[in-house]
Amino acid sequence: MKNASRASSLTRRKLLKASAATAALAAFPAPLIAQTKPFAGVTLHGASFQHRFFTLLQKYIPEFEEQTGMKVDLQLSAFPVYNQQANLELSSGGSAYDFVNVTFILAARWVAAGLLADLNEFTGDPNLTPAEWNPKDFVEGAQVPYRDARGGTYGYSWEGGAMLMGLSRMDLMEKKGLKIPKTFAELQQVCAEINGTDGVSGITSFQLHHWNLPPYIQGFGGDIFRKPPGDIMPALNTPETIQGIEFYANLLKNAPKGVLTYTEDQARQSLLTGRSNIFIHSSSWVTPILLSDESKVKETSRVVRSPAGPVHDYPASNSQGLGIPKNAKNKKAAWEFIKWALSPDISMRLVKEHGHSSVCRRSIITSEAYRKLNTVNGQDLGALYLEVLELPAKGENYMAYRTVKEFPIVGDVLNKAFEQVATGQLPAKDAMNAAQDQAIAALRRSGTQL
Amino acid sequence: MNAPTSRKATPGRLAAIMVTLLILLSPFLWLLQMSFKSNDQILQFPPPLIFTPTLEHYSALWHSAFSASFVNSLLSASFSTALALLLGVPAAYALSRWAGRGKHALSFAILVTRMAPPIAFTIPFFLFYRWIGLLDTITGLVLVYTSFNLPLVIWMMQPFFDTIPVSLEEAALVDGARTRTIFTKIVLPMVTPGIAATAILCFLYAWNDFFFALILTRTNARTAPVAVVNFMNYEGWEWGKIAAGGSLVMAPVLIFSLAVRRYLVSGLTAGAVKG
Repeated sequence: MKNASRASSLTRRKLLKASAATAALAAFPAPLIAQTKPFAGVTLHGASFQHRFFTLLQKYIPEFEEQTGMKVDLQLSAFPVYNQQANLELSSGGSAYDFVNVTFILAARWVAAGLLADLNEFTGDPNLTPAEWNPKDFVEGAQVPYRDARGGTYGYSWEGGAMLMGLSRMDLMEKKGLKIPKTFAELQQVCAEINGTDGVSGITSFQLHHWNLPPYIQGFGGDIFRKPPGDIMPALNTPETIQGIEFYANLLKNAPKGVLTYTEDQARQSLLTGRSNIFIHSSSWVTPILLSDESKVKETSRVVRSPAGPVHDYPASNSQGLGIPKNAKNKKAAWEFIKWALSPDISMRLVKEHGHSSVCRRSIITSEAYRKLNTVNGQDLGALYLEVLELPAKGENYMAYRTVKEFPIVGDVLNKAFEQVATGQLPAKDAMNAAQDQAIAALRRSGTQL
Repeated sequence: MNAPTSRKATPGRLAAIMVTLLILLSPFLWLLQMSFKSNDQILQFPPPLIFTPTLEHYSALWHSAFSASFVNSLLSASFSTALALLLGVPAAYALSRWAGRGKHALSFAILVTRMAPPIAFTIPFFLFYRWIGLLDTITGLVLVYTSFNLPLVIWMMQPFFDTIPVSLEEAALVDGARTRTIFTKIVLPMVTPGIAATAILCFLYAWNDFFFALILTRTNARTAPVAVVNFMNYEGWEWGKIAAGGSLVMAPVLIFSLAVRRYLVSGLTAGAVKG
């Protein structure tokens, strides 16, 4: 009986299950179920340069694909390769990419030429962007390059770089009774005093002079252009600019031989091994003296704000953003991806699960979890990073020189002129007078109205 | 009697040869030794010349997208070389045997495509390829390389055909051979050194090309030279992989050149001394 009853109950159960399934199918037919994934069938094409952020993000992308139903084809290339390809694609009105990295140095040109979609259209629509995504949470200084004069927003920053100073041999400095330099004059003194002690160079740097040099030029009150972004007349031969050039050239007399041709890796290695005492560069290049396993000087290192000039305290900063090409085929899907990739949730997961610290959301940088991970030997690296990153938006946007489309031309001229000064081929005044003429001629040749 | 003595390999001469070789090969040797160093050793100063070699960079390359790029390079260079030879060799033969009035004008017209720098063609190629959907494809690269190699093949092969007496072909015709038979069985074997030399130059052009590959590919058809540049990252250059990639990129050309070395020397000189 028992067996008969069990057989009968099983049959009943099966019958009930089948009925429930039939009812469910009737209520939600298959096509409707598929439509719960709003972007099912869409393949999203995006491109950027290779960066740890994207390497980490790729681990989470399957989750996004599962949520939305779309496929993400993220094409990553080297920095120069990506810039070349994306520039050509966007400039020729292509629609191969649905989202792109808006490279800092190309941002002004792409924004001014109308190559990118205005993201305010997406953030302003509550159906497309929930309030908790909060566009204002992005550090304002990091967002400046992606805005135009009318208030349009053409990118949201996924990475920030803030110029900090790393000191690797505090032990030597303490022996000599030297304090951490806070002004240009103190920096010069510390570099000169340390240089040659125990075979250590006073400072190290690398070949991208038009990144390293402007904070000194601006520190003395000069700039690369007269009043960027509005007035882009080069200002390479003003007394302040010449003073900045002379100062930096003198500073590099305390650097290792061949520093003018050093790459960033060589400079970082020189710092991490304690062969050079000071390196002033973006946080991600300097903080490894405290955070990296490669560092041989963790115990004797400090990371601090870079020294202030007599006129201005303008440490360099930059950011990289995600944007949508104007001719993209899947703009809404692309926004869905950007919204997800830069969401507070993913940003926090990147910080917590991978220690990725160069995020640009203020709420994340100021969170307890972030602070805990980025405080080393009592030094709050996050606070330093945030302080520098937001400076350009606080007063004058002093990083505007770097976002105008004419900068690469003038930057090249500046690089060559500085090398002439640093190698003693020409006095600073002569080199910069010549550079000013060359920059104006080069800009005019490129069709710039001055 | 004196001449052979003067060519004797004296120690001084050998030393001079060794020094010259060392100077010539120094960039390659430097690259090669870098590829076997660890990342720490690469940036060490002074650079260590004695070190425990590591294959970590080669291993990393082979497990990355570089291997696919290497295959892309092999495919695009091989197919374009084969296609250029397939079309160019018969064309060169026809031009060599053609006695019509337009011969020189036609030869010159063929060469015109080589007179502008390749960079001038990149944007038109890019726009056209995007339009017909050939961007980021091996086919696209093969067509570009073929179009640039074809004039080279025709101009290089024509003097080789000129050196072959027409009477040979006439004799074959008298014996009942068809034109195709004459071309494939009699003429082609006689110009093998020329074909080898031309093939190497075509292969080298396609293999070493960077600019077209940079503009016309993305990630699917990316070639090895572009893939090597891909190790120059925003967050730092991967010197070990760049060195290992550079060394690997040289290998096929080296092997190919060694394989046809016998033909290469005679091929490069034979066409130039037509009597």
